[in-house]
Amino acid sequence: MRKTSGFSMDRRSLMKGAAGVALGATLPAGLLRPAVAAAATQITVADPGGPYSPAFRKSFYDPFEKATGIKVVNVAREAEPTAQFKAIVETKSYTWDVCTLTLSARDILMKQNLLEPLNFTAADAPGLMPDSLTSHWMGTDVYSTILGYRTDKFAANAPQSWADFWNVEKFPGRRSLRKNPIDTLEQALLADGVPLDQLYPLDVDRAFKALDRIKPHIAVWWTGGAQSSQLIQSGEVDMIALWNARAQAVIDGGAPVKIGWNQGLYSIEGWGIPRGNPRADAARQFIKFCADPARQAAFTEVLAYGPTNLDAYKSIPKERAQALPTYEENLKVMTIAKEDWWGANRSKMNERFNAWILG
Amino acid sequence: MSAATLHHDGAFAAARRRLRFGPLWLAAPGLAFLAVFFLFPVLRLLGLSVQDLETSAWTGDHYARIVATDVYFRVLMSTFRIAGLTALLSLLFGYPLAYWLAQLPERQRGLAILAVMVPFWTSYLVKTFAWMVILGRTGVINQILSGTGMPTLPLLHNEFGVMAGMVHAMLPLAVLTMLPVMTTIDRRLVQAAETLGAPPANAFWLVYFQLSLPGVAAAGLLTFISSLGFFIVPALLGGPQQTMLAQLIITQIQEMLNWAFAGALATFMLVAAMVTCWVYDRLFGLSSLSGETSGRAGGGQGHLRNAGMKTLSALAKASAALGGPVGRLLGPKMMDRLLPLYSALVIVFLVAPALVVVPIAFTTSPFLDFPPPGYGLEWFRVYFNSDLWVSATVRSFAVAFATAILATLVAGLAALALARSSSRWRGAIFAFFLAPMIVPRIVIAVGLFYLFAQIGLVATDLGLIIGHTVLALPFAFVAISAVVKGHDWRLDQAAATLGANRFRTLMLVTVPLIRGGLVAAFLFAFITSFDELTVAIFVSGGVKTTLPKQMWDDMILQLNPTLAAVSVVVFAIVMALLLIAEWLRRPAR
Repeated sequence: MRKTSGFSMDRRSLMKGAAGVALGATLPAGLLRPAVAAAATQITVADPGGPYSPAFRKSFYDPFEKATGIKVVNVAREAEPTAQFKAIVETKSYTWDVCTLTLSARDILMKQNLLEPLNFTAADAPGLMPDSLTSHWMGTDVYSTILGYRTDKFAANAPQSWADFWNVEKFPGRRSLRKNPIDTLEQALLADGVPLDQLYPLDVDRAFKALDRIKPHIAVWWTGGAQSSQLIQSGEVDMIALWNARAQAVIDGGAPVKIGWNQGLYSIEGWGIPRGNPRADAARQFIKFCADPARQAAFTEVLAYGPTNLDAYKSIPKERAQALPTYEENLKVMTIAKEDWWGANRSKMNERFNAWILG
Repeated sequence: MSAATLHHDGAFAAARRRLRFGPLWLAAPGLAFLAVFFLFPVLRLLGLSVQDLETSAWTGDHYARIVATDVYFRVLMSTFRIAGLTALLSLLFGYPLAYWLAQLPERQRGLAILAVMVPFWTSYLVKTFAWMVILGRTGVINQILSGTGMPTLPLLHNEFGVMAGMVHAMLPLAVLTMLPVMTTIDRRLVQAAETLGAPPANAFWLVYFQLSLPGVAAAGLLTFISSLGFFIVPALLGGPQQTMLAQLIITQIQEMLNWAFAGALATFMLVAAMVTCWVYDRLFGLSSLSGETSGRAGGGQGHLRNAGMKTLSALAKASAALGGPVGRLLGPKMMDRLLPLYSALVIVFLVAPALVVVPIAFTTSPFLDFPPPGYGLEWFRVYFNSDLWVSATVRSFAVAFATAILATLVAGLAALALARSSSRWRGAIFAFFLAPMIVPRIVIAVGLFYLFAQIGLVATDLGLIIGHTVLALPFAFVAISAVVKGHDWRLDQAAATLGANRFRTLMLVTVPLIRGGLVAAFLFAFITSFDELTVAIFVSGGVKTTLPKQMWDDMILQLNPTLAAVSVVVFAIVMALLLIAEWLRRPAR
């Protein structure tokens, strides 16, 4: 715990400065308290920030504090927190105790041995989807890459599959795909007629051939989640491959947009602990707490992510359930994006995709 | 002019020999700062690029991978094309505006500069989304076009969109770098040339323009090198052709966690940027910024200088040939109004995004709709009711202020040192002070995290200030160097002859005379910190949130008008501060 005392020393000495005093006057107490505090009475959770923080707070952090007496401080992490995660473990400066990780982040961190084991099994969390628990990681929510389209543009005859997205004669309009091989290669193969359950291993050459056909018709290659929702909300494009929660945010805001779940590719986001963390026990306790179906159901009231504990649907109203990726009707027309294939091929695919898109 | 400088160089050599210490010592704090907080952490990270991922044995594999395909080279080329075009356009559009500003009466100039600086106070995230709202298919311009029955234009997701966003971001930097140099030019020199029979075109190109060249060279360098590191603007406003190398480096660091290859890519870009700087130095005399040209130009570089003079004469002839007929066509009255009119247009371009952002801040829609369907204060309520937003704002202002003071002080000393030194280390030191601008920010950010973790500065405000000062130093340094270059050291000598010691000379003679450069340096450093995201992400660890970081986190799911409301609040605070500063300055005069 030497780091802890060093940290608060720095803070105190800085607080003596004029800037520190000015800050101290306006900062809420929670922010001033150093993140690395005495073990077991407080943990720091890195979540995606923004609208996620209040949602996690309401459904997980506050109930956990109430149940255990362990305080949860939340900080915002990056979309790809792996670099920070690695730095935290290697320098042993545990500013985070728990962090949300995608499957790809989990696998990369696993490979470099940067995750702390969770020490619990599927039997400890009944109802959990089998894909959402490994020895070092537990999934809490499911997101999906789906086809979003404008209902003012496609009123009666809407695109219902990636083959429709590729069909520029029958469905004229401006299109957008993500500037990334992940999901895009799968979508190309689905458009080319590969069945959903036979996608992996990906036939890469076939995928790029299919992409060649659609390339001249792609108006925008998007790079960030906020950009994708802005594109479809403003009508800059008429159909787009994007993440369901982004599309749902646009729909909830009243834009004429609809989600086509068919041939969607879902993935899971969950919790991991930086290896060697001195508060790992409290962190494990927190993660286990998040497997609770009632807590997961509460989370879906705020954000359109699917619970990983399918028992949660017992208490989710049907109208909301239909907007979630793990709702039975939605889940059965989608497939999980296979992380083991991407883990082995991502670097090569990135290079090839970048070269391809430059033309 | 060059004869005069030559003369003063000669006179100075004797004085310099007397000062055993040598003025280069003034650069020592800056050098030490950069050695600890820049060179060491960055080299440690770049060192990974020659190590094997598994065994840490020496390897050239990561570099071999770059050469194995042409994709990295092509992305490098497009990065340089975009940065080069941005710099060129910023100079072309910025020079006449700076010229116009320089000859305005001081009071009016102050007001006009406020307008030029408007883009500074809007976060680049917000600016970029404002351009999407303006240039999009359903955007402001195309709504007007289709409303008047004209065909809509493809303004976004192509090179045009990128240039609009990039030049908009870089133009104020270019103008404010050139301006202090132009205001120190003695306009009577132009009159003298005309009295001696030079046609107006010759008087401008051969006298005024030549004297303003240090400012142009500095502005070109700053805009070019800072454009090299851009990636969000090209990603959001451009198409696939506008891919930047910085983006690929970030992908390797954050998504692939392959720091060795990221280090190799960063080194690749660094070498290319350094070669470019070297060529630039040959062409425009980069080190001239620190006051070297006259001696060199008179000596070994005679051919280049002759070529330069010939180019300027040709430009003078061309503009005279063009100016004559245009002048007859428009009449003298119109000709006089041409420059103010042009300047007004450029200023409209500069404030356009702000004009979109302000109404959106008051919208009732949850989106960035323009025009807003209704007006209300909801997004301001969201902002003021959030401790996170308010504390991030306070922290950003405090950190930026501290960064600006530190960077101006350290860079000012270094610029003075270099200007008065004749050491052969000068070129190297100059390049070293520019280096933090060339190294991709993410490399600095990751390197600093490791260093800060070892000395307990992670998630502290002091860590943020140090990190931001590293990034701000080059901007402050170049801004001051450009002005110091035109400084007449004989004035300092005169003060010394009259009995002033070195400190009094510095405070009462040198500093007041180079004030323009110091103000520009302070501003650039402030803005660098205030709008900085990458270092904030790593150093803050999410605990000490700054405003750009909070904006970045808030816009994950969708863009909401809170960002616009924040921009309006920041803008109001900055304007209030500037007016108070102006009011405090008044009585003294």
